Amino acid sequence: MKQHLGRQSGVQNVEVSLLDGKVEVTPKEDGRIDPAQLLKATYDSGVSVAELDLIARGKIVKDSSGGLQMQVAPNQSFALAPSESSKALEPLAGSETKVTVRGQLYKKPAGRKKPDTSAPLKLLILEVEKKE
Amino acid sequence: MRRANFVVLLLLGLVFMPALRAQVTHIEMRVEGMT
Repeated sequence: MKQHLGRQSGVQNVEVSLLDGKVEVTPKEDGRIDPAQLLKATYDSGVSVAELDLIARGKIVKDSSGGLQMQVAPNQSFALAPSESSKALEPLAGSETKVTVRGQLYKKPAGRKKPDTSAPLKLLILEVEKKE
Repeated sequence: MRRANFVVLLLLGLVFMPALRAQVTHIEMRVEGMT
């Protein structure tokens, strides 16, 4: 699995802890990493992902239907799951303020074995670490 | 003198740019069924 993930686009380093089932991925600075692709690659290597958390830095923007998104690259953004934390970031939508957040992009649904990778992933903000 | 200033600014830019760029900086997964 470590080798398989290490071959994915934008991945610099992969650390696997067998004891607690934790996989830490350090992205390259080229900003080309795709967490959804990483999730799929992990399933393809034969293990089941219970949870995927990430730390990201970007701008808050609104999509065409008014939903909040976090833009982390010109061609990459995550729709924000509705929460108190995302509501608190709404005033920053469209501004140049960059926020660093820790969030959960995926949590395994109870009772289902394979994730629905076709459904867009939503970022649930767990903590806003920095606004600048 | 101007060229020296430019070089210093360029180097500072190269050092700090990755830290200022918007991007995913860390990913952590909890997995099941790993042997």
